[in-house]
Amino acid sequence: MNARAVPVWDLWPGGIEWQPMSPKLRTVWMLRSLLNVLILAVVAAVPLTIWLGWEGLLWALGGYVLLAGLRVLTVVRTVRTWGYAERDQDLLVRHGLLTRRLSIVPYGRIQLIDLSAGPIERMFGLTSVQVRTAALGSNTEVPGLDPMVAAALRDRLAVRAAEVREGL
Amino acid sequence: MTPEAEPVRGDEPAPPLAPAPYGPAPYAPSAPPEGVQRQRLHPLTPLLESVRFLTAAAAAVGVQMFTSRNFLFAVYAAVAAAVVGGIASLIALQFRGFVIWGRELHIYGGVFTRSHRTVPLDRLQSVDLARPLRARVFGLAQLNIEVAGGDGTDARLAYLKHDRALELRAELLSIAGRPGAAPRVEAADEGAAESTAEAPERPEPLVPPVTVRKLAGASLLEALPVQLTALLVFGTAFAVTGSIFGFTQVATALWFGFFAPALLGYLQSTVATVNRFLRNCRFRITRDGGNLLIERGLTDTSHETVPVDRVTAVSFDEPILWRRRDWRRVEVWTAAMAQQSASVVKSTTALPVGGPAEVALVAAEAVPELPAAFEVERPPRRARWRMPLRWKWTGAMLDEQVFVVRQGLWVNTYVAVPYARIQSVRVVQGPIQRMQGLATVHAMTAGGLGHTAKAAHRDVGEAVAMAAELRRRADAAAALEAPRLS
Repeated sequence: MNARAVPVWDLWPGGIEWQPMSPKLRTVWMLRSLLNVLILAVVAAVPLTIWLGWEGLLWALGGYVLLAGLRVLTVVRTVRTWGYAERDQDLLVRHGLLTRRLSIVPYGRIQLIDLSAGPIERMFGLTSVQVRTAALGSNTEVPGLDPMVAAALRDRLAVRAAEVREGL
Repeated sequence: MTPEAEPVRGDEPAPPLAPAPYGPAPYAPSAPPEGVQRQRLHPLTPLLESVRFLTAAAAAVGVQMFTSRNFLFAVYAAVAAAVVGGIASLIALQFRGFVIWGRELHIYGGVFTRSHRTVPLDRLQSVDLARPLRARVFGLAQLNIEVAGGDGTDARLAYLKHDRALELRAELLSIAGRPGAAPRVEAADEGAAESTAEAPERPEPLVPPVTVRKLAGASLLEALPVQLTALLVFGTAFAVTGSIFGFTQVATALWFGFFAPALLGYLQSTVATVNRFLRNCRFRITRDGGNLLIERGLTDTSHETVPVDRVTAVSFDEPILWRRRDWRRVEVWTAAMAQQSASVVKSTTALPVGGPAEVALVAAEAVPELPAAFEVERPPRRARWRMPLRWKWTGAMLDEQVFVVRQGLWVNTYVAVPYARIQSVRVVQGPIQRMQGLATVHAMTAGGLGHTAKAAHRDVGEAVAMAAELRRRADAAAALEAPRLS
């Protein structure tokens, strides 16, 4: 591992205190990917069973365990890459394991702040914050925060956005 | 309401509404009162809007007439169409119209599904006058009203008499407080009042008009490489497969499967080129206060207004065969979204083709002190294998006023984004880029993805520094501007 493999956000000048996501996010995403792989395994098990007899079921199970293990590993590492930081003038969000993304949203340009929570997320008490600017496709998401933290973040962002209001 | 009714029922009168619960100023009522006279659209509007349907119906009736030799049927059909169409038009017109109330424009429409659109004129981006051919025949025009923001916020007033449309446009612009809109109205009024022979209200164009010959040549040179390549590819594909499988077999087998659609696409691109040529004929760009006024079009004339303070990006296109002549096209992007559909992001051509001097002139008008020539820095050499042909034509630089990126091989484009217009910045690093120590910087502007300035494959350190610098300069530039709410 050479110096070039350092994540792009670690090169940002000046220290940034990255806030991690809620630890429950890992559980939620792991469950979700396990479920996805399970569906895949069930779909694959039917032809395998017809083809190989009961042995096919074992193959499907083995495949499931292997894939699920790999998915869990990647999910754990992916969740670790997520982070956000509030600076004086802007919100920084970083994420991505293979493709690394660092989004910088100035408070003054924020148009909308959404809080949303899906059914699984709600079960675990998670909320995601979405920040939009006037640019299409600049939809910056901070997934998986505690509802309290998310609401507090939203309020802080809203206040800052109202203070430093910049045009289009 | 009779005075006896109240004591009998014992109802308390409803508490008065708060005069102005919120909002920037107390002038803005949410809807005009019922009695306000709506301004009508031109009576021919429904006819023009259903012109396609009418043509189809006429064609169907014509076919019917010729096959059945029953001419009376055609007469009946025409009479019925006239009566039904006339009544429907009259009814439809009752519900359509618009009201300018305070600082809002209210547009009403629809017979079965009523619609009422409120356009806050404070947020007005531009009012464009368009004259499609079918409207031009009757001396009518339509106004396309653009408001800042996402999809579907645009509005259309169609159709109005041409001079009425011009008046209305001036009125809307002056209500919106566009600087420079008012003088033009006065000038137009004076011109109308004095009705002198010469037309003094037309200001001098910024650049000498583009001759038809130059424009035609430029269009041809722009289209030529694409067309030649297409022909070459099809030709070689045909020759190679033909020599292997025999020409007649290939011809019959592939004609319907491959060549016919390809030919269709080819024809389409040709038509698009011709259309663009027709649209850009008689091009005139003038500066009027804070606006750029653009008039163009041979068959469909259109007038466009680009408020200079809303320009989010300027792009300079240089098709491959224009390079030797040093010609360029200048496009101006604003935050207003596409008129017809949200998926098509609209730019306004500020100069269809021009030499360096003209380009510099227009660029400086679109964004103050914008230079037209940029010395961009290429990505590092190790990025070259990822884009062997384009590498030479790619680059980015941080200019004094603008962030400039260069990209594209067939059409080499410089996109210049003023720092004050940068909404958010993003640094993206793909897996291969990570191995190479490269990253891509996106600077996003309001409106759409069409002109996102993307500095591809910069060195990682440089990319991050560039993003930080972009943010710093964007803040500094925005702080200098007067804050705007829209």
